[in-house]
Amino acid sequence: MGKDIREDISWAKINTDVLKSLESPRPLYWVIVGVALLMFLGGVSLEAYQYRQGMGVANLNNPHVWGLFIATFIFWIGMSHSGTLLSAILHLMHADWRKPIYRFAEAMTTFSLMTAGLFVMVHLGRLWQFYYSLPYPNERGLWPNFQSPLLWDAMAIFTYLSSSVIFLFIGMIPDLAICRDHLHPGWRKKLYTVLALGWEGTDRQWRNFRVTYLTVACYLIPLAVSVHSIVASDFAMSQQPGWHVTSFPPYFVAGALYSGCAAIITLFIILRYVFKFEEYMTLPILKKTARLTFAIAMVWTYLNAIEFASVWYSHDQASKDVLIQKATGPYAFAWWGMIICGSVVPLALAFKKVQTNIPMLFSVSLLLNLGMWLERWMIVAPTFSHGYYPWTWDHDQWPSFVQWGMVFASFGWFTLLFMIFCKVFPSVSMYEVKEMVYHRSLASKMGGKGGH
Amino acid sequence: MSQRHLLALFNNFDEAEAVIKELRETSIKGFNFDDLVLKSPIEHHEVEDVLGQRSANVQWFTLVGSILGGLLGFFLISGAQANFYSQMKGGKPIVPLPANFVLTYEMFILGGVFISVLGFLVCAGLPAKRSPLYSAKVQEDQIAILVKGDDSAVAALKAVFTKHQALEIQEEAGK
Amino acid sequence: MSVSNLLQNWSAVRHTHPVGDAPHAEYKWAMAIDLDACTGCNACSVACYAENNLPAVGKDKFEHGQQMHWMRIERYWDEDGRDMPDQGAQFLPMMCQHCEAAPCETVCPVGATNHTADGLNSQVYNRCVGSRYCSANCPFKVRYFNWYSYPDQEISWPSPMEQQLNPDVTVRTKGVMEKCTFCVQRLTVAKHNARNEGRLVQDGEVQTACQQACPTSAISFGNLVDPASKVAKQWKAQQVELAVDKQAKDEGDDSHEVGEHHSTTKLRGYRIFEELRAYPSVMYLERVRESAV
Repeated sequence: MGKDIREDISWAKINTDVLKSLESPRPLYWVIVGVALLMFLGGVSLEAYQYRQGMGVANLNNPHVWGLFIATFIFWIGMSHSGTLLSAILHLMHADWRKPIYRFAEAMTTFSLMTAGLFVMVHLGRLWQFYYSLPYPNERGLWPNFQSPLLWDAMAIFTYLSSSVIFLFIGMIPDLAICRDHLHPGWRKKLYTVLALGWEGTDRQWRNFRVTYLTVACYLIPLAVSVHSIVASDFAMSQQPGWHVTSFPPYFVAGALYSGCAAIITLFIILRYVFKFEEYMTLPILKKTARLTFAIAMVWTYLNAIEFASVWYSHDQASKDVLIQKATGPYAFAWWGMIICGSVVPLALAFKKVQTNIPMLFSVSLLLNLGMWLERWMIVAPTFSHGYYPWTWDHDQWPSFVQWGMVFASFGWFTLLFMIFCKVFPSVSMYEVKEMVYHRSLASKMGGKGGH
Repeated sequence: MSQRHLLALFNNFDEAEAVIKELRETSIKGFNFDDLVLKSPIEHHEVEDVLGQRSANVQWFTLVGSILGGLLGFFLISGAQANFYSQMKGGKPIVPLPANFVLTYEMFILGGVFISVLGFLVCAGLPAKRSPLYSAKVQEDQIAILVKGDDSAVAALKAVFTKHQALEIQEEAGK
Repeated sequence: MSVSNLLQNWSAVRHTHPVGDAPHAEYKWAMAIDLDACTGCNACSVACYAENNLPAVGKDKFEHGQQMHWMRIERYWDEDGRDMPDQGAQFLPMMCQHCEAAPCETVCPVGATNHTADGLNSQVYNRCVGSRYCSANCPFKVRYFNWYSYPDQEISWPSPMEQQLNPDVTVRTKGVMEKCTFCVQRLTVAKHNARNEGRLVQDGEVQTACQQACPTSAISFGNLVDPASKVAKQWKAQQVELAVDKQAKDEGDDSHEVGEHHSTTKLRGYRIFEELRAYPSVMYLERVRESAV
């Protein structure tokens, strides 16, 4: 296995290489941004249509009140989790190979949370009254219902979003100072000057920086776990068959880390090409990410199997019927698709040839994400078509163009935000790559083994 | 007696470390070791061995922030429920503890994170104006030592810097 | 101060329902429906449309499952294990069960649905933001969402039908959830009248629209707290208790599956999904089955 990063790479070169990504990406960058913008605008017009006409155009109906919006909401929340995994958990574990890739993973966290938040809005029947669900003091003394898992969701997402923006920003301060000192004057230099807060890299600044970064990292891990447990509570706290499952919170968290890791591989490959980051986002790091994804895929598969097994063993006929319906009913194609994409395809990641083969990895990561999206759909939808009450059974329901279109558009919105971020802010952490190079070269000078 | 700032740039950490050691051991009149500031492109954890323990107190902000956040969360939510909703929901108590613990937990973390950041800004003295002498090279690959000394000490300080292969010495204009 | 209020009323705010003390001082509205008397004529449903300003959504939207019938007549064909029983289908009028511990109430993010002091499951249209969580968590699926702005549609109340809209009931906008209210507008009027006269509402003084329209008097409605009311007598005769998740008369029935009901006695009264601990306020009287005659 090659080295994660060249140890003799000069620090000045790190600066210039990364700063170049702020100036001149490959033309593909503009193609991606353009396509993403078009996708997003398509979604905006669909939302305008739905806003005017009412939720009926999404072709939801009375037993099937939730559809792709909620499924995709869970998907995006899930995606946000691996940013925290890479930046916080691996930081605490001193796995320094995270350093070149954690910045974009954190940005992914932030933007996928923003996308998820949009789905909550889009889902609401009266979007114009969304603020009723916020706890704000008002003259009528009205408060939201703090018992509702949806409100916990809102609170958890707000906490997670603001904490990860803070974490992203704090971790970026030294890099912003680099941008401030090395870019040509212009609006961006002014922006960086403000954002860098006058960072000079003094010993006092570094010392407090370290403690703060560590503290926030320690807080983000239980927070991330709680966020997806709460999303799982939306279902586990209800009493519908197929949702009322005790193992849902860990199952959701595992699924979240899984889909997030798959998304990291996808974005890794895109960024590596678009911003010419071959020196930093190296194949050995990609290999490690692939292995991590494989491990989490197996955890997820296990929890999935446990869920089926416990439903089967519980002797609860209603829940059993939902499971049978998933496997044989109208959703069977999606359910088996989820099993194949989520549990069979990742087996390919066990092979060394796949772990470093970029086209293979790229397509595998896309399939994994497809599988995880199907998983969320299979959590939400089948319970509505085969719940407790027989009258609700066998009602045909198929998401309309509006639903599919908005799901599609959300990828555009996410990509747009993400790509703009990568162009405005350094998506590889310069100071941490320097640290990595420094410590590794020190270690090899001492005669020890470099890296982990 | 007027004081002046000096900034010396070094190529690598070892040289800077040697300078700090020497400045600490030799007492130069008109120079206080505590005024020495090291500026580096990456964090050098080892520097604490030579600089001596300088404190970092962010964790206390975190503790206080978390506790306040949690308390605020619990009492805000429970108080709001008890004040407003006399109507029951789902047969559950009007102030349901399990539900409120979830929100208290979130507020605990939210308070911790927000106040930690405040603590970071306070403890690190940010946002700050630039110190009198600064070189953009620090953000690239060089290490800088900023000292403050009386006019009389400047020569001695410069001598120490040059002895350890300082790449460049910047001097604040005399007043 | 809210905190001192919290501490002073601690035991009150920690009270659970329906277990423990009896919270219904004067009224607890409840219903009994005799399925043996029901002929499936749909008059109740039509009466509900007229009384509660329910829009007719049209064939197209009905096929998409976007109908608004608060009171629906369900047909079940597979009686006694046969696909087509000689007597035809079995009918079940289904509407909001006004559960004492309603699953829909806890999950609403804005608190738009609550348990009222007289035992109703209320729905506040103005507060509803349309998250539809209540419907997702309703075991009976009796909540109906305004998928479109139905009042704006010509088909809802074709002219001059808009003249017959009930002025006591709001016309709902798009994006809010609605459901059977036990004709709360009638209950309110009856309670006000009774209070003005310094008495309680008497049995038979107030009827729901569905009850009023039922040609076979299959539906009875009244105050469960009043032991003299017809509905209370029916509940008592059938030995159905409000605040239990398994009736004493069903002891010895060891079916564990949700929805299974095997009464060991000749009594016909049962509540749907009693074992889910929602404590519904509607008692059904089982149809006398062909095989049992």
